Amino acid sequence: MTMLKNIGSLMLIASLCSGVAYAEEKPVVGLIMKSLANEFFRDMLEGTKEHEKSRGDYVLKAVGMQNETDFQSQINAVENFITQEVDIIVVAPADSRAMIRPLKKAIEAGIVVINFDVSLDADAKKKQNLELAFVGPDNRSGAKLAGVALANKLGAGGKVVIIEGNPGADNAIERKKGFMDAIEEHDLELLASSTAHWETEEANSVFSNMLTANPDIQGVMAANDSMAIGVIKALEAAGRAKDIQVVAFDNIPAVGPMLADGRLLATVDQFGRDMAANAIEKGLAVHRGGPELSGWIKTDIKLVEASK
Amino acid sequence: MQSEMKIDMPAQHKKMSLKAIVRDAGIGIALLVLILIFSITTEHFLAPNNITNILTQITINLILAVGLTFVILIAGIDLSVGSVLAFACVVAGKVITIEGLDANTAIFLAVIASLLAGTLCGLLNGLISAYWGLPSFIITLGMLNIARGGALHISEAQTIYSFPEQFNDFGSASLFGIPVVFLVALLLVGIAGFVLHKTVFGRMIYGIGNNEEAVRLAGHPVFWYKVMAYTICGLMAGIAGIVYMARLNISSPIAGIGFELNAIAAVIIGGTSLMGGRGSVYGTLLGAFIIGVLANGLILLGLNDFMRQMITGVVIIVAVVLDHYREKMTTGS
Repeated sequence: MTMLKNIGSLMLIASLCSGVAYAEEKPVVGLIMKSLANEFFRDMLEGTKEHEKSRGDYVLKAVGMQNETDFQSQINAVENFITQEVDIIVVAPADSRAMIRPLKKAIEAGIVVINFDVSLDADAKKKQNLELAFVGPDNRSGAKLAGVALANKLGAGGKVVIIEGNPGADNAIERKKGFMDAIEEHDLELLASSTAHWETEEANSVFSNMLTANPDIQGVMAANDSMAIGVIKALEAAGRAKDIQVVAFDNIPAVGPMLADGRLLATVDQFGRDMAANAIEKGLAVHRGGPELSGWIKTDIKLVEASK
Repeated sequence: MQSEMKIDMPAQHKKMSLKAIVRDAGIGIALLVLILIFSITTEHFLAPNNITNILTQITINLILAVGLTFVILIAGIDLSVGSVLAFACVVAGKVITIEGLDANTAIFLAVIASLLAGTLCGLLNGLISAYWGLPSFIITLGMLNIARGGALHISEAQTIYSFPEQFNDFGSASLFGIPVVFLVALLLVGIAGFVLHKTVFGRMIYGIGNNEEAVRLAGHPVFWYKVMAYTICGLMAGIAGIVYMARLNISSPIAGIGFELNAIAAVIIGGTSLMGGRGSVYGTLLGAFIIGVLANGLILLGLNDFMRQMITGVVIIVAVVLDHYREKMTTGS
């Protein structure tokens, strides 16, 4: 018992010491993400924590939101980080316009700001005189990869529908554009396009109804994997799983079995787990006096295809 | 006063259910009009497959709405049902994927876990709001966050998947084109109807909604009746959680966001008063149909997302305004 106590107090002292050391030497990184209820960001947070541990030369302070559109608390988080005098802010904006003013304030306070995952609006940046590089994947070309995989399977004239993400969300818009690029370049026919708000149950209902209205659908492009799961269930219920192809985006673990048996033709991995860590690497380099970043620093995307 | 209450209440109740029949017929007419419109304007609306789809799609909302009918009849509200659905769903998902259980045991335990999780949330809602006499709006808003947070925490925000085959089969099974999950919902409507209209407990639910003080003075344990109403509502959310899992073969911690609003709409469109004491679970059944038929038909029409959302809003308001006038007419006569 006393032994345990001793070890405990030793650990406490050790952690106190290292706490002081952190505060003096290691740069503090404030990470602002979107909803941690989203598997994608949850996984990203885990990946970033591992990165912090393995590098060991910075301190991570991470903040997540209540939901995808909660930009009010992102603004609060930026303001709090300015007050705490962090060295670097790494942010995935929930709103590509609303975040510009607070981030400008952070830069004026001497903080290195890195924008990742979702790009800030170019026009709004120009209007407010903000120069800020973007580190992130190209959702549009990612979605196009998936769309082209579908087009190659169906051939020209294939009839498809799109299941969209949240209306107005940046990645939803970009992914739809990517799907549309594939449709236009490969002469597919778009029968319908509807949102299912990224959600499985809604995608299941919305797609069932689309299929009733358009029994001749040959392919489905879903803006994320969760919705593709709902679509695939609807296809199974309608007995059409064999003759209708589905492509999606994100590569979450739950679609693993569907890729294995071909129910999902392809999805896109944007390596979300490493995305924040990559952005932090960039921020640390600038913080150490490296060159300022500019433009769009694209991160990896990869098409993951069914193994059958 | 006391004896008056005892003689009065059954009589009053009888008159009420007569009125309720008139009301429900009104909602039924509205539903028929919708069905007629969609049958004419779209090609596939009456196709057997589409009817199966509609029945599947209204199932979860209907189950939640059945539970909410009890709570709204006592002039309460439960905003937590969507989150409780997710919580129950995730708890059951964790149980059903425990390694080393044989499929049947896993399914059995998962169902029990889901029902218990839902019941527990409902029980807490009821105990807290009834004991301190606090507005259920705010207590269940608290539970909305607790259950959602709990679901995310337990699942670590991951979708849970790969369930036993016979469980997945149940979710997509149908009997003469009628989805089995819908039959489950219909059975629940029947049981709820029996409880509300044929038992003392049911009469007390209406009584509390009409005049809580009178029921209390008549010597009835109002506290426990109220707790029961919320507990039933939680139990229904637990059942809905299992149905969600069976239908989609995943457990998602973000399942059911906003479902409470659709379920409340079904109850109110079905003619149950937010002030309590008036309405029926059969009305709720029709209300759920109206919402489901509308969602289905508008997609078949090929309307865009934003138009659909607007029209759904308009129909909800029109249904309630019409109900207001019908109610006035029946009271007047």
